[in-house]
Amino acid sequence: MKIIHMADSHLGFSSHNRVDKFGRNQFEEMVYKGFEEAIDKIIHLGPDAVVHAGDIFHNVRPRIRTLYVFKRCLEKLSEAGIPIIIISGNHDAPKSSSSTSPFVIFEGLRDVHIAHKAHYERFEVGDHLFHCIPFCLDPKDYLNEFGKIERSGQDVLVLHGLVEALKGKKLRTIGEHEIKDSMLKSDFDYIALGHYHGQVPISNNAWYSGSIEYFNFGESEDKKGILLRDLDRFEAQSISIRPRYMVNCQPIDCVGLSSIEIKEKLMEICSREVIQNMIVRINLKNVSRPAFKNIDYASFNRLKALALHLDLKVAFLDEQENRSEAIDKSNLHEEFAKFLKEEGECERIPRTIKEDAIAYGTGLLKKAVVAQNTEALDATQ
Amino acid sequence: MTLKDSSLIEKKENQKGLDGLLQTKIIETKDTTYRIIAKNVSEYHFTVPFEVHDSERVEVGQIFSIKDKGLTFLARVIDIRHDSNYDGNWDTTFTGTQFFDQSQIFNRVIAEPLGCILEGKFKKCKTLPTKFSLVKRAEEYEFSFLQEVMGDIEIGYLRNGSMAVEQIPVSIHSTAIDHHIGIFATTGMGKSNFMKVFAASCMQLAARNESKFGLLIVDPHGEYLKGKGPVKGLMHLKRYSEGLVCYSIDRKNFSDPGVAELSISISEIEAGDLSVLYDWSAAQRDALEAIARVFESCWLERIQKPDGINKMVSEGFNATTMGVISRRIKNLLEKNRYIDPVRSSLPGIISNLQDGRVVLIDIPRMSEQSELFLLSILSRYILEKYKEESSVEQKNCLITIEEAQRVLGTGSNTYRFETIAREGRKFGVGLCAITQQPKLIDKQLLSQINTFVVMGLADRNDRVHLEESARHDLSSLDIEIQTLEKGEAIVSTLGIPFPVPAKIHSYEVYLKKLEKEGRTDERLVSGGRFKPIFD
Repeated sequence: MKIIHMADSHLGFSSHNRVDKFGRNQFEEMVYKGFEEAIDKIIHLGPDAVVHAGDIFHNVRPRIRTLYVFKRCLEKLSEAGIPIIIISGNHDAPKSSSSTSPFVIFEGLRDVHIAHKAHYERFEVGDHLFHCIPFCLDPKDYLNEFGKIERSGQDVLVLHGLVEALKGKKLRTIGEHEIKDSMLKSDFDYIALGHYHGQVPISNNAWYSGSIEYFNFGESEDKKGILLRDLDRFEAQSISIRPRYMVNCQPIDCVGLSSIEIKEKLMEICSREVIQNMIVRINLKNVSRPAFKNIDYASFNRLKALALHLDLKVAFLDEQENRSEAIDKSNLHEEFAKFLKEEGECERIPRTIKEDAIAYGTGLLKKAVVAQNTEALDATQ
Repeated sequence: MTLKDSSLIEKKENQKGLDGLLQTKIIETKDTTYRIIAKNVSEYHFTVPFEVHDSERVEVGQIFSIKDKGLTFLARVIDIRHDSNYDGNWDTTFTGTQFFDQSQIFNRVIAEPLGCILEGKFKKCKTLPTKFSLVKRAEEYEFSFLQEVMGDIEIGYLRNGSMAVEQIPVSIHSTAIDHHIGIFATTGMGKSNFMKVFAASCMQLAARNESKFGLLIVDPHGEYLKGKGPVKGLMHLKRYSEGLVCYSIDRKNFSDPGVAELSISISEIEAGDLSVLYDWSAAQRDALEAIARVFESCWLERIQKPDGINKMVSEGFNATTMGVISRRIKNLLEKNRYIDPVRSSLPGIISNLQDGRVVLIDIPRMSEQSELFLLSILSRYILEKYKEESSVEQKNCLITIEEAQRVLGTGSNTYRFETIAREGRKFGVGLCAITQQPKLIDKQLLSQINTFVVMGLADRNDRVHLEESARHDLSSLDIEIQTLEKGEAIVSTLGIPFPVPAKIHSYEVYLKKLEKEGRTDERLVSGGRFKPIFD
């Protein structure tokens, strides 16, 4: 059995403030186009099934156009007789009672299997069982749901989250959950992972397919595309959907450079061939403020218009590094516990109730923070 | 008042004093109230009736208190002797069955001062109690000052003789762990139980997000994960399971959702890691050192192939030498199935340690060499990562080494562990050395260890070796260390003013206690949950 593994399509993602002739966000349209191209390529390859390992939609309330594009692609696959298995990810799973899962619209369609109800589901497709653990409400739930899996001997696991091996590469999005090493069992024929946007193997039987698109400059070096996996031969083949279109340039040290020299450097990098229809970031460091102010941007701006997006990141010579730590809202409960402990030490809290006050107060605050964060995420458009 | 009057008063006072001196001091035999009779600031002697009820017997290790005006002196019994007011053996009749003069016979208790309490504060003794001061068994409230100085990792209760004082838990400070910990005990004295109790307390802190360090335990006996029979393992502590991460090489455990399969990626192995595997000759060591230079990547794969061997030969190394190295590497990969072309557990292990969790590596039935090889890789990787990220806020790390004399012994070629013992503290990495034979551990390395948990050592050489390196003076505890029973310990650590006698929790009992505690708080805060609409 051959399957296509894809993930993190983020349909509906818009960015870079550039619109097409119809007034639509150009990058958003590019994401739709990339997804449709991928579906066409899949149909051409003719796998036995497609697995999408989470984050089809960029948010939990996709717009009509996003839903329409997705529906059109599902229909194409259905017509080609290719079943698809989908799980919800941290972006498109509802987290509060105020939102409904967008996937309810697509339930019941022929050959479309969606796990999105925050618990384990399995689907039999071809000669394999697909064990799906979608986005769960609590990070602790994953192991419990994983415990429900009963192996058939031909099993594929589909998960969305960050494995421990990639913990240093956190995307720092709300609802980003960790996949424990203990879930990556070697007795699965394949483990299709989603969430990390680069295409990387985690073990012989576990891969991140990566996303098709580049969503931020941190991904500029990532390999992108989809994976064709032969479940019988344990082979994975990377399939590219589009050429690399994001460049994050090496920083240019501008110490002692005049405005003319800086401009020359910029023009040197921004040749037409390099930036046309590309997303580019140019990093300048140690820039003198007067020199930067006096740069003649006319010709640079003309070139900039050719790019899909050109970002100039400047670190000024006189810039004081801001060392004050930002308040991490997710750890408010820890701050609160610390505060109470200090108060307790100063005997401002009676000793008899100190421990109870800390335990109760901290727990309550933690719950409030989680609730507020999830509500905020659901409300994002 | 006239001069005559005043001289009369003085005379009377003198007479009173003389009467007081001549008056016989009587030691009560009805109860356990005894009195100080000697000796100096560093050693107190008091008398005890020669015949008492079993419940009244004085034991080595018991703590007594001596109240003297505003001061309360605490002293621990270090020895008990038969004694009398007669010199030599004149106290016993010729037949040897009776006392010569019963009123002059007693037991002499020799106690070591621990310190004194003044207005609730504990301090070292710089004076001694007045002669004939009352001595009695210390009561629980008198130990309350200890609660103030105890740490956060609970391991047992304070022990007064053989009795546990359950009101006073003994806890080690998290801040002491990067100063290394030594667990010293002969077989069967409760080392494994101690480690499980220690790990359970760490799991509790980790699950509450209060832990200050990650604990790495490499278990070559496969006893910590799930225990054996009635003996429970760390996985049985379900309440704080979030604080535990398990990796195993045992296929039996793979089906468990909470146990990860241990893997080390082939690219993560360095030539230096092999040093613990064999006794390499000088030529072989040279070749191993050069391998990393000759092959920039994939050296382990390449050295097994003829091309790789030829490349090393062309660099001037002997073909036979390279043949031996190549063959040994093949054996290594053959024996250690956890070495994988792609997969690696190391990043997960590190991140969990940095998050302050307990990481258990279960490697039952692994050969000693392979165990040391794995431990060597783990230690190197941990130290490297902690060095690299020393500026980042991360929790400290404690690496447990069973049978530590193998790697910290005099003349062992395992410099990596020595480096951690000497330099680890700078980067927040500590060692927890467990050994039955402290005498084999290098004295200099032993002196780097600031927390000792001594659980009974029969060999005098072991005790002397420890006493010479301990932070606290343990020499006076020699008799007590000899007489420690299973589960009893002396804990000498930073932050606690004297070596504390402890009764280590039984893991199974502690497990039940941890599972029960704090349920009410949880119920209060866990009610209600947002439920999205899926249908």
